[in-house]
Amino acid sequence: MFSSLFETSFSANDLMFMLKGAGVTLMLTFWAVLGGTLLGVVFGVIRAISPWWVNAPLGAVLDVFRSIPLLIQLVVANSFKTIVGIHWSPFTVGCVVLALYMSAYCTEIVRSGFLAVPTTTRRAARSLGLSWRQDLTEIVFPIALRVALPSWIGLTLGVMKDTAMVWWIGVVELLRSSQVIVTRIQEPLFVLSIAGLIYFLMSFPIARLGARLEKRWREND
Amino acid sequence: MAKGFGILAAAALTLAAVLPAQADKLDDIIASGTLRCAVVLDFPPMGSRDANNEPIGFDVDYCNDLAKALGVKAEVVETPFPDRIPALVSGRVDVGVASTSDTLERAKTAGFTIPYFAFKMVVLTKDGLGIKDYDSLKGKKTGSVSGTFEALALEKDVKAWGTGSFRGYQTQADVFLALSQGQIEATVVTSTVAAAIVKEGKYKGLMMGGDAPYDIDYVALIALRNEQGLLNYLNLFVNQQVRTGRYKALYDKWIGLGEAPDLTVPGVYR
Amino acid sequence: MNYTFHWLPAFRALPEMLWGALVTLEIAVLSMVLGVLFAVLLAVGASSQYRIFRAAAVSWVELARNTPALFQIYMAYFGLGSLGIHLDSFVALLAGITFNNAGYLAETFRGGLRAVPQTQVRAARSLGMGQIQAFRLVVMPQMFRIVFYPLTNQMVWAILMTSLGVIVGLNNDLTGVTQEYNVRSFRTFEYFALAAVIYYLLAKFVTVSARLMAWRLFRY
Repeated sequence: MFSSLFETSFSANDLMFMLKGAGVTLMLTFWAVLGGTLLGVVFGVIRAISPWWVNAPLGAVLDVFRSIPLLIQLVVANSFKTIVGIHWSPFTVGCVVLALYMSAYCTEIVRSGFLAVPTTTRRAARSLGLSWRQDLTEIVFPIALRVALPSWIGLTLGVMKDTAMVWWIGVVELLRSSQVIVTRIQEPLFVLSIAGLIYFLMSFPIARLGARLEKRWREND
Repeated sequence: MAKGFGILAAAALTLAAVLPAQADKLDDIIASGTLRCAVVLDFPPMGSRDANNEPIGFDVDYCNDLAKALGVKAEVVETPFPDRIPALVSGRVDVGVASTSDTLERAKTAGFTIPYFAFKMVVLTKDGLGIKDYDSLKGKKTGSVSGTFEALALEKDVKAWGTGSFRGYQTQADVFLALSQGQIEATVVTSTVAAAIVKEGKYKGLMMGGDAPYDIDYVALIALRNEQGLLNYLNLFVNQQVRTGRYKALYDKWIGLGEAPDLTVPGVYR
Repeated sequence: MNYTFHWLPAFRALPEMLWGALVTLEIAVLSMVLGVLFAVLLAVGASSQYRIFRAAAVSWVELARNTPALFQIYMAYFGLGSLGIHLDSFVALLAGITFNNAGYLAETFRGGLRAVPQTQVRAARSLGMGQIQAFRLVVMPQMFRIVFYPLTNQMVWAILMTSLGVIVGLNNDLTGVTQEYNVRSFRTFEYFALAAVIYYLLAKFVTVSARLMAWRLFRY
């Protein structure tokens, strides 16, 4: 049963093909995280400081992205862009949907980071003569960053793993490229294990770093 | 946020603006210099990949011929079966050279040419299960690729028998994988594919289990429904392939057994 | 815009899609119940004095958290299949999501356990409570309060993850039914937009009922 693990027709060529897929996964992740974080910071700060009549609708809209399966979001967005006649590649659609998806989660992380800074601390800063802007950059931002960064790292890794769903709209990323090879050489367990290993190697070190940061910063509290 | 507003604005503008008359798709293909074909690549001998993971097969050659006729470069875009028409409608490809059965339901969404190939359906099973013909599928675990001609026919029969089960998969490869692993006991596929799969011997123990009593499955090229200019060109192209003997040559190259199937139905036009 | 919407066929598919939503909910609930059970075992295993239990628990948690859910489900179906273990599509999806749920919930539970100070247990013990009694009456209620929201989130996640069953041939859950209609007519937008609305309502149903439950459970 395990003999196929030792006499495999998996070639160096196939490994290169999968690593190329892994490259696509990383590119998708990069754009999604960049877009998602920028949007998330903006929306998060807005949600933290705006009155309820801005806050509530914005929150409700972002909540939609967190309540519908990513797969469905991708399919709907992909067919919608056709209907309205936007010419985007599946890769671009994947990046945009993932970025919006990430921004919905990132907003909450940023907001709770922002709100985690005690008002008393901020008042103290102001009464020490810091301006409003200084209060934001010197007091709120560093404290909020410490609260938010570990969750942000977790979110980034989550988005990296969620890029696997983009194959549905026709992007050949890591999981899809391993399926292509399974189709040819018929060794699902072996090829999938390699795919799993690559995902693990991309995710695990960063996850560890996040856990370490979280622990170290907690000690300093 | 600028990006978010940008997208919204773009969407709103596109919705609101009265679009100018678009250039014809045929013109677009010639002007862009590339013909993007949707091809299914887990469906040998029509489409598969060689040792370098490059696409090969009857449909791949057919796409190359079409590109040559148009004087452009061919680009093969891999699409699993259920993704063929979405890929076409979403503008990811220009033409589908993907063994697409010309059902009336699909013709509501996509435009079909005259048939460029025809399949006969056979039962594919594993030895030792006692499946010898179509009738012995009754009560067995069956499966096929969601939404294909043979899947619709098989699922209908399984429902009518009231025993056994049917599973729809998203790719042809997953169906063969499920069959060879024993997740399902039989599937119905085109005879050409069954022959190629059994001959290849990659999946151990697979064997043919007799003909399936379905109509002949005529498959056509697909393009956008409203692109009459392109569809007209494609019809003539299919006709020319047969007339020049290229159709037979491709058949001999990729399938080889017996005669190339007749692409006309007696007693009716087209 | 060159597209005419065909909403009527989509609405005709609605009853069958709602039945699909029921299957979706069923898988999500089952995967949560099983996930919680395994997560407790994992949380206990991770702090076990036996190395082998620790290793097993840690690898489960790290694998579940560091590979895509889609990969886990595909592996449960075709990966195990090549070892001769045949899971039905429904079971494979359930196994995949349960594996994932357990991995994430184990971490949640560990955090919850840590959040209850040991001094409280000692206080309870010195008041004459047994170990189990102290856990049940002192630790559990506080821990439950801490893990309640993460649990709700995971439940929503489980619902969203069920949409991946279509990859392993599941055709009677919400996404499966939707895809069956889609491949027949290729009216992708109409069917999937409708599915999106149903998923949204399902997720809202879970969060709202959780909020109601929390309001009843956690008021002083």
